[in-house]
Order: sequence, then C-alpha cells, then structure tokens
Amino acid sequence: MSRTTNDGSVNSVNSNEAATSGSTDASLASQQKAPHAPQMGSAPGGGRKIVWIVLAVVVALAVIFGIVWAVRSRNTSTATGGSRQESMTIGVKLAPTNLDIRNQSGSALDQVLIDNIYEPLVGRGTDNKVSAGLAKSWDVSEDAKTYTFHLNSGITFSNGDALDSADVVWSLRQLLEKKYASSDQLRNIASIEAKGADTVVVTLTAPYADLLWSLSGRPGLVFDHDASYDAKTQAIGSGPYLLKTFKENDSIILTRNTKYWGTKKATIKTITLKYFADDNAALNAFKAGSVQVLAPVMNAKMAASLEKDDRFVVGQGDDTDKYVLGMNNKGKVLSNKKIRQAIRYAIDSKEIIASRGGVDAELGGPIPSLDPGYEDLTGLYPHDVAKAQQLLKEAGYSDSKPLKLTLEYANTYGTEFGEQLKSQLAKVGIDLNVKVVEFSTWLQDVYTNHDYDLSLVDHNESHDFYQWADPTYYYGYESKEVQDLYAKSITATDEAEQAEYLRQAAHKVSEDAAADWLLNYRVTTAYAKGVTGFPMNLNQSRLPLAGVDYKK
Amino acid sequence: MSILRYIWHRGEGRFSLIVLGCWLIVCALSLVWTPQPLGQSDGYNTWASPSLAHPMGTDGTGRDMLSWLMAGSGTELQIVVATCVLAALIGVVFVSFSLARSGLVSEIATVITDTLLSIPIVLIALILAVPLGASILVVILSCAISYGLNLARIAKPQASLAATSRYVEAARAAGSSRWKALRTHVLPNLIPVFSVQLSICAGTAILAEAGLTYLGIGVPAGTASWGSSLSSSASFISIFPLTVVWPGALITVVVVALNLFGDCLRKAVDPVVNAQLRASEVRR
Repeated sequence: MSRTTNDGSVNSVNSNEAATSGSTDASLASQQKAPHAPQMGSAPGGGRKIVWIVLAVVVALAVIFGIVWAVRSRNTSTATGGSRQESMTIGVKLAPTNLDIRNQSGSALDQVLIDNIYEPLVGRGTDNKVSAGLAKSWDVSEDAKTYTFHLNSGITFSNGDALDSADVVWSLRQLLEKKYASSDQLRNIASIEAKGADTVVVTLTAPYADLLWSLSGRPGLVFDHDASYDAKTQAIGSGPYLLKTFKENDSIILTRNTKYWGTKKATIKTITLKYFADDNAALNAFKAGSVQVLAPVMNAKMAASLEKDDRFVVGQGDDTDKYVLGMNNKGKVLSNKKIRQAIRYAIDSKEIIASRGGVDAELGGPIPSLDPGYEDLTGLYPHDVAKAQQLLKEAGYSDSKPLKLTLEYANTYGTEFGEQLKSQLAKVGIDLNVKVVEFSTWLQDVYTNHDYDLSLVDHNESHDFYQWADPTYYYGYESKEVQDLYAKSITATDEAEQAEYLRQAAHKVSEDAAADWLLNYRVTTAYAKGVTGFPMNLNQSRLPLAGVDYKK
Repeated sequence: MSILRYIWHRGEGRFSLIVLGCWLIVCALSLVWTPQPLGQSDGYNTWASPSLAHPMGTDGTGRDMLSWLMAGSGTELQIVVATCVLAALIGVVFVSFSLARSGLVSEIATVITDTLLSIPIVLIALILAVPLGASILVVILSCAISYGLNLARIAKPQASLAATSRYVEAARAAGSSRWKALRTHVLPNLIPVFSVQLSICAGTAILAEAGLTYLGIGVPAGTASWGSSLSSSASFISIFPLTVVWPGALITVVVVALNLFGDCLRKAVDPVVNAQLRASEVRR
C-alpha cells in the first residue's frame, strides 16, 4: 500500500513539474507574442477587433463540432461484432394514458400489454388467425354452441400465483358483468364454467363465429383473481415480460420474466418502448442510434431515406387499417347512388398511394386481406373520369351547375388527403370544400350528428364489418341484404361458411358504393441491422416481443 | 413622393421597396398566370427535387411549389391589407372614444383597450376559431383586434396632445363641431404614427398567419398560403428540407422587408431626421 502511494506521489510531483514548466513555456510564448498584438490591432482601429472575435467564434464552433463528431463516430464505430445485447429500445407512436387495459380503450394498450404482460386464452398469430395460447387446445361441439378449452399445465402469473380455470372463468365473467372495454365482442354467451383446474367450458345461446378470434384479443385476457394492484400504473400477468416502469407519454420499460411458464421465453433482458409524438424526433433518435426499432416510420417517403443507409433495414407489414372515405348515405345529396358511384370512379387511389410512397395496398371494399371474407374488389370501380362525368350528368349536375360537397375530417390525417381528393374530384366537376378539424369537432359533427357529406377515417380495427350492418352508424348505410348476410356470418358454424357470407356482404356494400376505400395502410418498420424476430404485420395493435433478438 | 425618395436612397429602404414591389408584381401575375395550373397535383411526383418543370420542386400533395407559393402571395396580401385596414379602423375608433368629452366614456375606452391588450393574439385566434373554424378570417380578425388596440394605445398621447392644442381650440372657437375638429385637426396628426405602426403590423400579420396555420386554425386546407406550405412540409424537414426552406425564406424576406420599410418610414416622416421633408414643407 505504502509503496503505491509513494509511487503515486512521485508521479504527481513529476507531473506537477511538467505542468509548471509547460505553463511557463506557454506564458513565455504569449509574452513574446504580446508586443506584436497591440501593434497589429491598433493600426486600423476597431475593425480588426471584429475580425478576431469572428475568428474566435469560428474556432469555438469548429471545436464544438469536432467534439460532437468524435463522440458520434465513436458511437457508431462500436457497431461491429456480434454479441447479444442486454437491452434495446423500440420507438413507437401512440402512447397509452394509463395501463388499465380493462377500462381504457385504444390500440396503444393492446400493443404493449397483450402477449408481453397479459396473455389471452387463445393466441393470435401475425396472420391474424387464432393459435394456441393459454389454452393448448379446444373442442367445439357439433352445433357450435359449446367450446371446451384445455389449459396448458403449470401456468403461473408473474407474482407466483398459479393460473388455472378459476382465473379464466373469473376474468371472462368480470368482463361481461362490469362491461369492460371490448366486452361487446363476446356475444351470445350462456355460461362460462370451470371443469377441473385446467378445463373451461363456454356455452352459447346461438353459434358465434367470431368467438375464438375475440378470445384471442382483449376479451380473452386472463387476470389474476387473487392479486391486488393498481391497474392504471401496474400490471401483473402471465406473459414473458414484466412491467418495470411506466412513464406517461414517455416510455414503458419491460424486463424479462425469468419464471415464464411457456417455452417461448424472452430473449432480450430489458426492452424500452419509447413514445414519440413527433415523427422528426423519432427519426432523429433512430438515426442517432438511441432507438433500435422504429414502428411505424411515419411515411414511406421517409423510409426511403433510411433504406439508403446500410446500418438499417426497412420493411413493410400488412395491417387492417382501412382509410375509408365515408359518405353520408342518408344525406340530401349522397343518398343518390349515382353520385356515390361517380365519386368512386373519380377517385384514383393508385395516385394517392403513390404520393405516400407506394407501399400501401389498394382496397376495393370494406374487408382487408387479413380479415375473413376478403376479396379483391378493386375492379368494381376502376378510376374512370368519363364514367364519373356521365353519372354526374345523369344525376343532374353539369359544368354550369357543379356539385358542391364538403369533406370533413380530423386533423390527425394531414391536409394532403383533402387536397388530393379536391384536385381529383375537380377533374370530374365536383367542387370539394375541405374542412380539416379537431378530432372532437369531427366526433360531434360527423360521428354523432351525421351532419356531413364526405368524411375520412382510418378504421383500424380488425373484424369490424358490423359497421355496415348498423344503419345508425355514421355512414347511414342501410341494406336488408347486407344485414341478413352479416347475421348469417355471425351465426355460421365454421370458418369457411362465415368467410363466404362476409364476402358476399362486402361485395354488396362495395357495389352499392356505400363509401370509397382509399387504401389499406401497410405499416413501415425500420430497425437496426442485428435486430431479428421483430413482428412486421399488425405491429401497431399487437407487438409480441418475446421472439425479438438484438445482436451487435 | 419625397418620403418614397428618402426611403429609396437608404440601403435598407431600397431593399424593402424592391422586395415589396416584387411581391405586388407576383401577386398580380399569379392572378393570370402560374407556371403550372393551380388546381393540378401529381400524386406520382410528390416531394420532387427542383427540376426544369418544377423550379422549386413539388410538395407532399404533388403540386408545383413555385406556382403554389405564387398563389400564396395573393393570400398573404389579402390578409395583410385586410388586417391593416381593420386595425386602423379599430385604432381610430378607440382613440376617438378615449378623447371623448365624457370622462366615463374615455375611461371605459382606455380600460377596454388595456384589458384586451393583455390577451395574447393566439388566444384571441383560438376563441374566434370556435365559431369560424380554420379560416382566413380568424387570422385577419385576431391580428386586427390585437394590433388595432395596440395602435390606439400608441397613438393616444399624440392624439390628446393635438386635441388640447391651440389650433383645435381655435377651430372650436371658430365654430367647428367636436366631430369636425377631430376629423380635420386631430386625426391627420396621427397619420405618421399609424403608417409606421401599420407597416410593422403587416409583417407581424404574415408571421401570425404562418403560426396560426401551423396550429391548424389559420388558412384552411386547399388554400394556398406560405404558412400552410410551411406547416405541411414541417414534419418532413429532416428528409425534404428544401420544401421548408422555400416558404420559410419567403416569409423571412418579406417580413424583414416590411419591418425595414416601417423603420425607414418612421425616419422619413419625421421632419427632424428627414431634411428633404422640411425643405418641401417650407417650399409649400
């Protein structure tokens, strides 16, 4: 010990000497320069002083720039090798206001909580189809009225409690009794009973084709009957991740559940979901490397700039977002089918998709490709200006008496949609007045009061065909045939039958030009090289993180 | 004329006159001709870089940036002119009331002016946007109210000085009514103050348009304006910086020109600074 301190003191003396000699050198040098300085400065007066100040500022800026550049290049230069990272950060957009998934609606909660912290009775794959979940299998009776679920054995919640049939029954009954969010997705329920510790029997009053799919989402989540916690800020579930911290409108940190019951255990120890309300901030964080995954990248045009960078991978996934140009089917003007058809012919959705970067899919009807009953209906109303003009003429409008319509939509979708539609409809002689309003104004005018001509909404839910069978919905679309077909699809006893009824119904809705479907949004995700297993499909409403890995 | 000449002979004045002149010419031109038709947008060619067909590139809707900004200059001019006229009107009314014979009326006018002045312009705009929605009127009214009251406050000392002056006293003694004395003797005294303040208010109106449009309560979608070009491009600033630079630079240059014009105008109409003005007064 003493020796090292001696050595240290000797060193320090040496360095002191060096420092003093250095400083004397420096002061000598400055003294030598000093006599020249005033001579140079005094000759032309104050002008020279400014030059020195400018020079000083430039040098200071250069030094700052150099330091920033050095720090940055050091950060990126370490991006080689191939070891698993302990933690990673994912940049997402919509932040949940609290974590109470039973009371708080919004897909932001589904995204972070389902499959990561809470698990549903039945699993859901990235193809939007049901798979094994907490229940390893299930039997459906001949009349499709009795579902028997067989639970996996040895399931535990993160607090150590066992998850058994009693928890499942309690969770489902609570949902219906207390009418929690999404409880309307469970219909025709007669009873929910436990049969032993690992079997749950659900009986229905009538067949309900969407039961399994519903149970693979929010309605099927199983909570711990015996745990008590503040669901707004805490979460206790059976999933592969645990909630570490929740900062409202900022971030959620998840840590690996080391005692996870299932086989698909989490790979990354700590995953942070960082919420970016501002797309530029998100992009900058991603480019700087503080965020490894960005989902979604705001715009495919923006993604193009990332594609050029070989540090990143950019990809697209399918989604069920339908950008619906809603038409007021009960409105004074748009109750006329010819005008609705004219609008559908007038709109060139290919151009709209191209302007957004060309990654979204065309959509000709109310059902997107990931939902049952999908059919490519884009051929029903191809872009055809002449036909649109002809139909408008038949409806009694012409150049001297142009059709005036108002498009009202919420400002979350940007002004580009409105301006493009205005210019497309102008080509067939429709004078479109675009009103971009606050979401609350839209809710009041369009959704509640049905006081509108045209409206634009991104209907992102899956399995949401009910909108077209409900004449009180804001579209005001009323067709007995569609309502019957939808009712039949609901009570269908097998999947193929359900899909066929839905297909027919969707065909009729599209044929009637009940609305126009501008596009089927496809989500663009960008991630750093070395990230694997990140779900690309549907990742705005479901983000299973257990399979995600990150090596660098 | 001597005022304009005075401004022209100063560096910053010449700059402001040239910029404002160009602005007026472009406004007039955009009414009859733009490089590309205004309603036209090409979705297959959005965010394009500058080219021969589109010297400034295209925006997110696929419109020609140059044509759109040219059309926007007209909207800006409308806003500026309407705001200045309304602000002047409000200013004159409040100044007149604050000179009223009844102490109560003048007191009330002063209190109203001071109270309303304490409300920020954005708040006025937000309140107006409730019944009006996003519209040019919101910009014009909120700016006019705010600047008009400001004008009244700034012009009041000058006005009361004139109102208590000998020549007003003389005019009154000669039998002219209070109203006539106000019109012919007091208000002309305010013209220098007003013209200087209004040219500065014109610059701020353009800035307010850009700000309010960014908040979504200014110029509605589908109407060309510099502010709307700026706000719709702002979210893409990191990948298509040029689309933000064009309207941004335009706003900066015009607002700087208007402010410099105001400064020069203040000097030009001040006989103490402007010798030519004194000379012409004497000659007259």
